[in-house]
Amino acid sequence: MKKLYFVFAIVLIASMALAACQPKPVEQPAPAEPAATEAPAATEAPAPTEPPAPVIKVGQVTDMGGIDDKSFNASAWKGVQDAVTEFGIEGKYLESQQQSDYAKNIQQYLDEGTDLIVTVGFLLGVDTAKTALANPDQKMAIVDYTFPDCWPGAEVGVQCGTDQELPNVRGLAFQTDQASFLAGYLAAGMTKSGKVATYGGLPIPTVTIFMKGFEAGVKYYNQQKGTNVEVLGWNTATGEGSFTNNFESLDDGRAQAESFVQEGADIILPVAGPVGLGSAAYCKETGSCLIIGVDADWYDTAPEYKDILLTSVLKKIDVAVFDTIKDVVEGNFTGGTVVYTIADGGVDIAPFHEFDDDVSAELKAELEAIKAALIDGSLTVDGVLGQ
Amino acid sequence: MAAENLSTKIPSRKRIATGIALLVIGLLMSVFFLPGTETGQTATFGLNLSSSAAILLPDMTLPVQTSLYVLVLIVVFMGAYHMARGIRSPGALFGVVAFCFVAAFLIWATRGRSLSLIGMLTSSLVRATPIALAALCGVISERAAVVNIGIEGIMLIAAEASVVTASLSDSLYIGLMVGILSGALIAALHAWLVIRFKVDQIVSGVAINIFATGTTSFLSSKYLQHQSDLLNNSGTFPIISIPLLSKIPIIGPIFFENNLIVYLMMIIVIVMHIVLYYTPWGLRTRAVGEHPKAADTLGINVYLMRYVNVIVGGMIAGLGGAYFTLGSVGRFDEVMTAGKGFIGLAAMIFGNWNPLGAFTSSLIFGFADSLQVKMQILKVPIPSSILGMAPYIVTMIVLTGLVGQAIPPAADGQPYEK
Repeated sequence: MKKLYFVFAIVLIASMALAACQPKPVEQPAPAEPAATEAPAATEAPAPTEPPAPVIKVGQVTDMGGIDDKSFNASAWKGVQDAVTEFGIEGKYLESQQQSDYAKNIQQYLDEGTDLIVTVGFLLGVDTAKTALANPDQKMAIVDYTFPDCWPGAEVGVQCGTDQELPNVRGLAFQTDQASFLAGYLAAGMTKSGKVATYGGLPIPTVTIFMKGFEAGVKYYNQQKGTNVEVLGWNTATGEGSFTNNFESLDDGRAQAESFVQEGADIILPVAGPVGLGSAAYCKETGSCLIIGVDADWYDTAPEYKDILLTSVLKKIDVAVFDTIKDVVEGNFTGGTVVYTIADGGVDIAPFHEFDDDVSAELKAELEAIKAALIDGSLTVDGVLGQ
Repeated sequence: MAAENLSTKIPSRKRIATGIALLVIGLLMSVFFLPGTETGQTATFGLNLSSSAAILLPDMTLPVQTSLYVLVLIVVFMGAYHMARGIRSPGALFGVVAFCFVAAFLIWATRGRSLSLIGMLTSSLVRATPIALAALCGVISERAAVVNIGIEGIMLIAAEASVVTASLSDSLYIGLMVGILSGALIAALHAWLVIRFKVDQIVSGVAINIFATGTTSFLSSKYLQHQSDLLNNSGTFPIISIPLLSKIPIIGPIFFENNLIVYLMMIIVIVMHIVLYYTPWGLRTRAVGEHPKAADTLGINVYLMRYVNVIVGGMIAGLGGAYFTLGSVGRFDEVMTAGKGFIGLAAMIFGNWNPLGAFTSSLIFGFADSLQVKMQILKVPIPSSILGMAPYIVTMIVLTGLVGQAIPPAADGQPYEK
């Protein structure tokens, strides 16, 4: 009998070991010559041949989406990899499987003497602030978040990170609504049914900002053209909209798309990481809708859906992370907040690829004009929404 | 006889309480739903899917206020009647009240707008499919007294195995087969551990879940995401419209325009019901689950029955896993089953450990789920996280009301020692 429990225990341990394979720091060794950016060779890290000058170490902590989320974690990691190729730094990532991993992973980098710790996302805000306050010399950067983040009445250190500026943390923020404004205008110009839709993963600011810009873009199109294109799934004025309440279930994304199509929408902007791929699968299968990708250009990251991909709302997290690492390498690192906008190309919309011929020259010209107006400030998202 | 007469003449305290509760529900319905409406407002419900254009039904347009008054009156009348005379069937009572409440809610939410009712019902069945398959796996295992909480893990593994083989072989059917077989394999491991070695059934199930999450996520991030064209791009089963039947208005698009896995699920429900209740095999299975000692005394091979049932259950869960990839989105992503296996177990319990019950409760889950999606589109002023709970709340309310106390097989979860 005991032997059998032993067998069972082995199975359990094996499964845990396999599960643990993931958060193991995957090293991207400093390459002698520019290395392939894909798939870090995990197992045998070749010892760097020229050790003398201390190599700058960068460590990324993902949120629960994991490094392959085809969204901000992957995008930030691409920035790290680009910097590895460019500057010969050392880049690592740690995946967080649950909330309690955030602090643990950050601590591991502290123990290793990492030069720059990059944390990804809203959910890591509190732990990042705590670490930064306790270690004022540790350089940090956080994607999609800014400090101070406390609102009146919030419990510091629990609900929010800090109510003061952090000189050693750079918050990387994105004015994504400017890019999705363009996507909204484009969608309104391309829809045949007069209805377009958007949904999010969770009702958090970094998600809803996409939806807000999208709604504003459609509204602006209506104002300009006197049309009545309707946005399903989001209303900025009331803050209500459609959410899958997870970033995992592709089947939910499919159901969302199906439901939107039943209600008459023919262009969908899913702001839910991989869940959006479920919507793309539905559109591809039925041919009844088009998808607008988010974060990265889905033409590159999910090429199987290129037939139904109208465009993507780009949020160039990789550029932001790369810039930050560059500043560390060059000794120009500063804390505070850096906002990437459409003016500096930090947010934008992707080329139309397969749909380049379908988008009329007139619409393209209008989009260019809007972009220019957004850059010089004569047009603002909030202005269109009347806020 | 005498007692029965008495109970109809003198209303029992419980009956009065139920009646008052119904009156309160009626009152609440009018308080919640009526104030936001305007006279002359209508709610339009679409009754056609664009794909099934054989017989076009006109959209159903209801006057909001009148409909709400009628529904409230029905509930109030039911309450009063129950207090005065008593309604024998609590199921019917509850069903009617629940229907009135949901209908009132829908009409209120749709006021001044339109909603594709048929679309909502169609997606209810599709959304219910993985839940029902998980529940059926649970039913057949637990009828033979083996608890399997590793269903979520089995589905996850089958989802990944099926999409990889389907992509490599370029055949959805081979993928489906491999998905089902991998389900059988994991279930066989579970059966072996809990029957042969009498490992605690819960522990083994948990281990399967942990193992499955770890392995599939690892393989996914290591291989599937980097070579998605080769390994993770299978396509999906096409929609099969059954001739003639799919032309029936309303019923047709809901039941007879689906993909293979949805049909298989419905067939399994019927077959399992017949097998469990009308064949010697089913009788033996239930005997093994209720009183294995007695079954053994009568010459039934308890271990064999348990092995076979658990493995068949695993095959059904494997089919459920294949739904997520081959039946839905044609690709695998980490933890994409998102807890549907556990919801399936809940559906099994609410369905009182029988196939039809499990199917019905899965449908209620599916309905509440697609209702929730539609409510978000209609921008009902309820936070989305609350709406997200709707499937669970609705299931608990309806099924506790309808089913009463669920009774598991007597020997459920206990290892059998000769």
